Amino acid sequence: MQFGASTFIWASPFSNATLDLADKAKSMGFEILEICVEDPATINTKAISSRLRSLDLRATVCGAFGPDRDASSEDPAIRENALGYLRRCVEIAAELEAPAVIGPAYSAVGKTRMLDTADREAQWRLAADSLSIAADHAASHGIKLGLEPLNRFETDLLNTVEQGMRFLSMVGRDNVGLLLDTFHMNIEETDIPAAIRRAGDSIIEFHACSSDRGTPGRDHLDWPGIVQALRDVNYTGPVVIEAFTTEIKEIARAVSIWRKLAPSQDALAQDGLNFLRKAFHPQPI
Amino acid sequence: MKYSYDALVYYGEAVEKGIERVARCGYDAIELIGEPTQYDTAQVRSLCAQHKIVVSSICSIFTGPDRDLVSPDPAARKRAVQYCKDVADLAAGVGAPVFIVAPSPVGKMAPQADPETEWQWAVESIREAADYANSKGVKICLEAWNRYETYFVNRIDQALRLMRDVGRPNVGVMGDTFHMNIEDDSIPDTIRRAGKDLLHIHFADSNRAAPSKGHIDFTPILKALKEINYQGYVTFEILPASADPFGTMKSGGGREFFDEYTKLSIDTIKQLEAAL
Repeated sequence: MQFGASTFIWASPFSNATLDLADKAKSMGFEILEICVEDPATINTKAISSRLRSLDLRATVCGAFGPDRDASSEDPAIRENALGYLRRCVEIAAELEAPAVIGPAYSAVGKTRMLDTADREAQWRLAADSLSIAADHAASHGIKLGLEPLNRFETDLLNTVEQGMRFLSMVGRDNVGLLLDTFHMNIEETDIPAAIRRAGDSIIEFHACSSDRGTPGRDHLDWPGIVQALRDVNYTGPVVIEAFTTEIKEIARAVSIWRKLAPSQDALAQDGLNFLRKAFHPQPI
Repeated sequence: MKYSYDALVYYGEAVEKGIERVARCGYDAIELIGEPTQYDTAQVRSLCAQHKIVVSSICSIFTGPDRDLVSPDPAARKRAVQYCKDVADLAAGVGAPVFIVAPSPVGKMAPQADPETEWQWAVESIREAADYANSKGVKICLEAWNRYETYFVNRIDQALRLMRDVGRPNVGVMGDTFHMNIEDDSIPDTIRRAGKDLLHIHFADSNRAAPSKGHIDFTPILKALKEINYQGYVTFEILPASADPFGTMKSGGGREFFDEYTKLSIDTIKQLEAAL
């Protein structure tokens, strides 16, 4: 299993100014740095590639989806903007030799609306049509898309694996799957290991986060059950810690984090990694 | 354990129906909604007597700028304190021993003053509400909400700190397992830390549906409540899965929260309690 750290743990937005995070992640023992693309203009793929290569780190690429990048919008201009952003993320992923672009690419984070069944269906249709276009572009670069269900407070579109699987069948493209995140699953899934098994082969990436988005392991999640479920579905992809720095108010506010969730972000990443290594590779008794 | 069910989810329904339903399902009590003008207290008392239940508590409704105990506008804070006093009157009127106070309204997601100043406003506002409530023989329990509903108090430990700063004998804290599942490392340990200061608790499963519909293990929670000799009611506050549960109910959703979940909630937890 390869473990990764999201740049969101320390930075927002990620840019060359924070490229040293790669060295930090490497020295902590991570194998992957998840590059979060808030503003594609700040992402210098040449510099990132060369740094990652020199450190023998791999990249994953995570998108950020605000109101102007809403693939489910009724406004065709906003949908087109979302597709343009996704195309750029796919190119970035290809340039960084990352396997996939992941994130809640189907809608805008924070869009929670009461809709009747017909309007909800229309929103799903718009999102699925957008994603099938994005998927075809991604396929031409050999890149997958990992769609992330979010909890009810962050989106009204995909909250659970069950909905995610239904959405994947609407999109109908082989290179589109799911990103599962234990923080969201803790709120929405009836049974987290069962949800992982249900997602099965469709899991493109896994975010291993604590139930409060602090340090993985310092929480009440059933980690042995989660690890067993991933093993049962033969998941061998990236396992990434995603957390958010409270030092940068904009990102903290965007994800509703109002207090420090660990002694430091370094401690969160290091303690989290140590915990996950043990959880995924238990010593034989 | 004594059991209660929050009428909050009986959206748009007359109080007599709710009282009849919880009594029929085996509850000891009902939690009423903190809208003082909505109830005739004499009628509530008589309905409760008729159905042999009591009112466990009042679920105050902190929404909007006039129910913001930490508003930068002193007049708004005064109105929010007055609201608490009105709820204290309702509680006393229906014989409920405790009502819920949340210092900052649901959905207010950014501070409007520096943290120390807002904290001080919370302390002063709650003190005034508490002194009035004390004169009516009613207690206050401070509630923490998850990060998506308020920035102000998210964890029981924060509520305990606020309680200590308020420093009034009739002020304690409450837990809500839906919020705690998101914010607290361990629900049972948090309950033990709160100890005698835990005056009230809401049970909901991890997805806010009836216990057994999510993944919370309620057995260690019940054990912790027994350990601290919890004297309050286990009150089910369950709501539809949405950022706006009341919007869901307005549009006709959430019907299972009436008969089906009222029965399922108490049956599930009583069975776990019997197996302790």
